[in-house]
Amino acid sequence: MIGIVVVSHSPRLAQAALELALAMVPGKRPAIALAAGADGDVIGTDASRVAAAIEEVSSPEGVLVVSDLGSATMSAELALELIDSSSTRVVLSDAPFVEGLIAAVVCAAGGATLADVDREASTALRAKRAQLAAAPPSPHTIEHTDTRPRDGDSPSRYRTEQVDRGGVPTQADSPLRHRSETTTSGHVSGTFGSPSPSPSSPYRTEILPNAAGLHARPAAVIATKVAQSGEQVTITNASAGRGPVDAASTMLLLSLGARQGDSVEIRGVGESSSALVSELAELVAEGFGETADGAATPHSVVARAHHSAGDPIGVSAGRRAGRVLRMPDPITEPSATETVPRGDRAAAAARIVSATTSVVADLTRRAETAQAGHARDVLNATAQLTNDPVLVANSQRRVMVEGRTPQRAVWDAVSHLAAQLGSLGGVGAERVADLHDVRDRIVAQLTGEAQPGVPTSTDPFVLVATDLAPADTALLDPRVCLGIITAEGGPTSHTAILARALGIPAVVAAGAAASAAVLSPGTLVLLDGMTGEIVIDPTPELVASVATATATSTAVTGAGATGDGYSVPLLANIGGVSDVAVAVAARAQGVGLFRTEFCFLDRADAPRLDEQIAAYRAVFSGFAGQKVVVRTLDAGADKPLPFLASGHEPNPALGVRGYRTSWARPEVLDLQLTAIAAAAAAERADVWVMAPMIDTVAEAIEFARRARGQGVSTVGVMIETPAAALMSRELLDVVDFASLGTNDLTQYTMAADRMLGSLAALNDPWQPAVLRMIAAATGGAEQAGKPIGVCGEAAADPLLAVVLVGLGVATLSMAPRVIAPVAAVLGGASRAMCGDAAARALSATSSAAARAAVKKVMESR
Amino acid sequence: MTADTGSTGAVSTATIIAWLTVFRDLVTANNAYLTELDSAIGDADHGSNMTRGMDAVVAQVGSVAPESIAELFTSAGMTLVKTVGGASGPLYGTFFLRCGSATPAGATQLDSTAFGTCLRAGLEGVVARGKAQAGDKTMFDAMAPALAAYDQTVGRGASLSAAGVAAAVAAATGRDNTEPLVAKKGRASYLGDRSVGHIDPGSASTTLLFEALARALSDT
Repeated sequence: MIGIVVVSHSPRLAQAALELALAMVPGKRPAIALAAGADGDVIGTDASRVAAAIEEVSSPEGVLVVSDLGSATMSAELALELIDSSSTRVVLSDAPFVEGLIAAVVCAAGGATLADVDREASTALRAKRAQLAAAPPSPHTIEHTDTRPRDGDSPSRYRTEQVDRGGVPTQADSPLRHRSETTTSGHVSGTFGSPSPSPSSPYRTEILPNAAGLHARPAAVIATKVAQSGEQVTITNASAGRGPVDAASTMLLLSLGARQGDSVEIRGVGESSSALVSELAELVAEGFGETADGAATPHSVVARAHHSAGDPIGVSAGRRAGRVLRMPDPITEPSATETVPRGDRAAAAARIVSATTSVVADLTRRAETAQAGHARDVLNATAQLTNDPVLVANSQRRVMVEGRTPQRAVWDAVSHLAAQLGSLGGVGAERVADLHDVRDRIVAQLTGEAQPGVPTSTDPFVLVATDLAPADTALLDPRVCLGIITAEGGPTSHTAILARALGIPAVVAAGAAASAAVLSPGTLVLLDGMTGEIVIDPTPELVASVATATATSTAVTGAGATGDGYSVPLLANIGGVSDVAVAVAARAQGVGLFRTEFCFLDRADAPRLDEQIAAYRAVFSGFAGQKVVVRTLDAGADKPLPFLASGHEPNPALGVRGYRTSWARPEVLDLQLTAIAAAAAAERADVWVMAPMIDTVAEAIEFARRARGQGVSTVGVMIETPAAALMSRELLDVVDFASLGTNDLTQYTMAADRMLGSLAALNDPWQPAVLRMIAAATGGAEQAGKPIGVCGEAAADPLLAVVLVGLGVATLSMAPRVIAPVAAVLGGASRAMCGDAAARALSATSSAAARAAVKKVMESR
Repeated sequence: MTADTGSTGAVSTATIIAWLTVFRDLVTANNAYLTELDSAIGDADHGSNMTRGMDAVVAQVGSVAPESIAELFTSAGMTLVKTVGGASGPLYGTFFLRCGSATPAGATQLDSTAFGTCLRAGLEGVVARGKAQAGDKTMFDAMAPALAAYDQTVGRGASLSAAGVAAAVAAATGRDNTEPLVAKKGRASYLGDRSVGHIDPGSASTTLLFEALARALSDT
């Protein structure tokens, strides 16, 4: 029997036409494959789907391709170029779509040859032509093209017209219709009856209130509920016009790209689904129990680069000793060329199911034992994503049709889905890291490699890894993870920043010292996150001294001052209202850096004035009577936002970013300044405002003019470039304060990309050149008589904090969790020691010498 | 980055990536314009189709990081075929796929003549797929003059950068010349004489393709 491929612009059209055809052949049927719609199920055709469909139904008797309009034919022709056409005879039929398909299916089911089926299909219009030719002339033929009911129409035709006019909404026209019925309570609901005998379809429309939108965890919750209920539910993102999709698939739910503020429509099939629809609607309406202003979890992946040549670098203070637990190395990419012989494909495809089942079981078990609520949710969401029917089916298809190995099939299927999600931007793009985690887990299961991710352990351990992704680091439990040692990474890498935020001592760029040969699992190791020192098999006395040191450092309070009483306020770096409680608990004396990007993430356009005011007030209200330094929007080619897209740039770090984005879009900055000033007026915090990436005095004058014009009283600039550091005197003549962004100042002074682990040794604020640059800036500030603070990661290095104070820095701002260790070290120094430390560091010839010199000063006390 | 193109006047993988990326930027910036042209004589989806397709191409190239020019073209072509949906999918898809098969496997640099051969193969693919001739009011009317101008400029011994600019100018002229024509292909052909007085949207996006090429070649 020949195979048949149905090519259509619309999956629904193809499905319906096929149903119509299959109703004609109750017994044996030919193999039929659909190739309908393009990627993401847009209306259109996709030649690669046509090619896959041809291969799926290929038989020695040949394959007939029946297509609908225009580009469907073109895609079918292109498909022939994509397959090995010598192995299968393929004929592209010129038949009318519906009539031709029915004729072809019936004829093929009877065992006809390809040529016969083709001829039968292409002459399928004969019946209709014959009937119309036999009908009475002109008046009737006109009536057939008219949609209005007329006298003389057949009863059945007339009845159809009445139903159409009855205004019964179909799934396709529902969003518009429902929007018009939105009630004041913010949602609409009801039950629309379709004409009997079709079932009724309960539906609800809700606005997504939470900041993260419909992300992986809630998508998994919804998919599980729907799958377990056995009901059919579809969800549509009415705001974006995406969907409807089957709510039992996490992957398809994520493909809706539903964000905060989007209108989400939930529709069930049949009365029995109405309870489930209501339950899901409540979940959406409550934002899945999440806050409206939750800060986004960082998901960008740290560049995994080569080994650094320099010495290990301490990036998160603290001395700890413990047994080594090793993080498995990243999964290797499976071969793209290896193929599975046709006869073995079914067995290979089946392995995908057993592999995903084991991974899901493992993740679920870990979720049950996980301590923290957040970690448990992440594990559960990953499990759900792993078990997604679309992912499994897509992978299996690649094994069956393309002959890929199961591991390659999973790899490709996930990459494909990740590209789809990534192209949605925003929420979807942030899920890409989760998808890659799922991919690595299934591939590891299939190839027998160690499962990726942080190994589980209830005993305390020191984690040793090549590098850590942010997601790995975020999941670490500070109660059992005593310390982190990585071969790669730099002081401003995400690992370092997150380790400091979690209060876990960390040493990065350890190179060969972190290899499995040196630090094998179970080895006792001591690390010093301040000096970068690593001691293998330390003496019991040394281990005991570490234990005491840890106990004392936790007793310190947050007020910043040297031992002889010179006050250096210690402030917090925060990214939104969710960080306020942590900052207050850490006894921060205010906020030295309030990053405002959170308010703008996941947005297609700039947030409205009232939204911004509310977001800023929420933060300001936590610091009544204290200082809050707000940084205006810091975006650009390196941190793109949809509404501030500056296009492709070869060197994003040197491109249109920070304050420079306001050149093209001044209204975004003006609106933000207005919102900050209004929020400041309504709260009792002492609000200061600064612009990122200021280079010139002219920019500072312009920013100050605009900020003051919008009602901001205290205006400052960030000093992040050598240009600004060298001009700090003149810059501070025109503004009220300055703040050193040491991460960028380091990368620009050393001309070393901070994302590259291989440049970690250069990207070190201890480099004497960087310290001299800071000294130039603080010197200028002193001449101008204006305050200068530090809000980069340098402030979080306790030893470096001593140097910064010695250089004349007035305030230090850092991740809230490191305030205590910085306060402790600062309290152990006198102001004179700080000056001495600064002088010695400035005159050192290398970063290592600078560290050693300062350490010596501190030990001399 | 211009590091690996240098002063040799060669087309590198970086040039192709820049070409694709700038084309993406241009179709995105001109999304509304392309759709407006298409709404006059088509089904008003050309802008969104091309934007979706090129977004996917740039994402795919970014995630797969093809190492040779042929792989880049093939990856771009397959992605367009899968994501565009409308007739531009197989047409632009075939263009890049044929460019890819005309490029020596594994090559990471092409001189101006070899690159011209590749583009020519792409144009032949478009003709084979769409069966359009000069004056049918299609993308062919912009692409064919662009390639003729490219070949002519290279033949005079001028730089790649100059050839790119010549191609872009010729494409724009070809595009503007579609305005008085009667459409012979695609959905616009159903309109017959009513298609007169409108620029063909396919020729407009093809002009953007060559504008993007000119910008990418300006770095070689």
